[in-house]
Amino acid sequence: MIHFDNVTKVYSHQSRPALQGVNVAVEKGEFVFLVGPSGSGKSTFLRLILKEERPTQGGIHVAGKDLSRLSNWKVPHLRRRIGCVFQDFRLLPNKNVYENVAFALEVIGKPRRFIRKVVPEVIDLVGLEGKAHRMPDELSGGEQQRVAIARAFVNRPMILLADEPTGNIDPATSIGIMKVLDRINRTGTTVVMATHDAAIVDAFRKRVVELEDGRVVRDQSRGVYGQAYGGV
Amino acid sequence: MRVQFVLQEIWIGLRRNLTMTIALIVTVAIAMALFGTGVLLKMQVDKSNNYWSDKVEVSIYLCNKLSANPNCKKSEPSADQKAEIRKQLESMPQVAKVVPETAQEAYQRAKEQFKDSPGIAGSIQPGDIPDSFRVKLKDPKNFAAVVAQMSNRGGVDQVVNERAILDKFFKILSGLQWAALTIAAIQLIAAVLLVANTIRLSAFNRRRETGIMRLVGASNIYIQLPFVLEGAIAGLVGGVFAAVLLSFSKVFLLGRLQKNLQLATPLGWLDVTTVIVASMCFGILLCALASFLTLRRYLKI
Repeated sequence: MIHFDNVTKVYSHQSRPALQGVNVAVEKGEFVFLVGPSGSGKSTFLRLILKEERPTQGGIHVAGKDLSRLSNWKVPHLRRRIGCVFQDFRLLPNKNVYENVAFALEVIGKPRRFIRKVVPEVIDLVGLEGKAHRMPDELSGGEQQRVAIARAFVNRPMILLADEPTGNIDPATSIGIMKVLDRINRTGTTVVMATHDAAIVDAFRKRVVELEDGRVVRDQSRGVYGQAYGGV
Repeated sequence: MRVQFVLQEIWIGLRRNLTMTIALIVTVAIAMALFGTGVLLKMQVDKSNNYWSDKVEVSIYLCNKLSANPNCKKSEPSADQKAEIRKQLESMPQVAKVVPETAQEAYQRAKEQFKDSPGIAGSIQPGDIPDSFRVKLKDPKNFAAVVAQMSNRGGVDQVVNERAILDKFFKILSGLQWAALTIAAIQLIAAVLLVANTIRLSAFNRRRETGIMRLVGASNIYIQLPFVLEGAIAGLVGGVFAAVLLSFSKVFLLGRLQKNLQLATPLGWLDVTTVIVASMCFGILLCALASFLTLRRYLKI
């Protein structure tokens, strides 16, 4: 599903590469934690998958597409197959829960009848039954992140990328968020989650890819967060 | 493509930037109106020029008892002298046609011409206008030789070159035309800068929305169209105001010119409508293009 083949990324105004010779293969339906200290290259890794950046060297395949051969006007179609969740939720404050989720479908031109059918289903899936008409500022952080997940998942992407989704949420609520991501993963969606949250990584025992200074230093199935960063 | 969604986005954009939008509309309206006025004046000048260029004549007024010219010695030239003058005129290479007009004919013509102004018509007496030769030139520009040869000839009172009178009039019109076009050009620059600034603000205001649109895979057209249309709509509304202003300038500026100066040939509503439609299209395209180019800089796709 996601293949990084000896990928190096150097940002134009920096001498030190953000990623260096990275080889990672994520198969369909996998759940992968991406761990490592700040500046280790986790965000670059996610941005490369979305083709927000181009690798300086190496090849990337996402969902069967060679990104170096994907022309710019086809990038939106790639992104429709990838859902994204961020630490800061990125909800639209002037739209309610339903409208925020529906927005993702409206802007890719889905018919209204389809939107009316699938949006309530996804809102139920992330555990926000009965809150469709709340505004974001009436929701807790955990609930806002559920809305963001619903929006990322409503178009049934093949891949869900999560960049520190529990970074702004207390540990108890984080477990709930993880359960939602796990539920999504069980539908066959590949999930890649960058995180600093040792407790969660250790509790879920999924595959762990650890980055340090732009290199993969560990790739372990059913791994833990690792001792160097305050984990168990 | 969902039309309703795009329209809603445009409406939000225009409303959030209301003051900028109003400034933009006013600027576009003034720019378009001045541009249109300039074009209308140009059309008027061209049309009048065409109309008059084959009608202007050099009139050679002969002496009579009332002539102030000392060469005339307050007496009419003899029939021989008149024939001689005519012969000389007809032999000139620049001259196409010579038509004699007697004082009586001239009197009738003047009466006819001023029939709407009874004061003038009543004060004209037969003989006020002397006998004359109306000389048609092959090329109205080559009047100098005719004027020079005829001016101090015996029996000739005055040589009036109608072309010189017309030229003065056209100079005023084309001066107006260039003034309007110059101000229009300056206003157009202001309009383009305002569009750029409005769209930049709009893009900044909606960066959250556009960021999410990009992320969920909205196509570039979907992301950019509301902004480009926002500029185009401001251009359209400005164009409508410009159309009103242009209609005013047709009625008041050109209408007066036509009424007060018998020289002007009327410019019809068809011409005015053409100019309005053309300047509206120009304004809309300009605004849309300026929006599009601004987006390339300020909206990451």
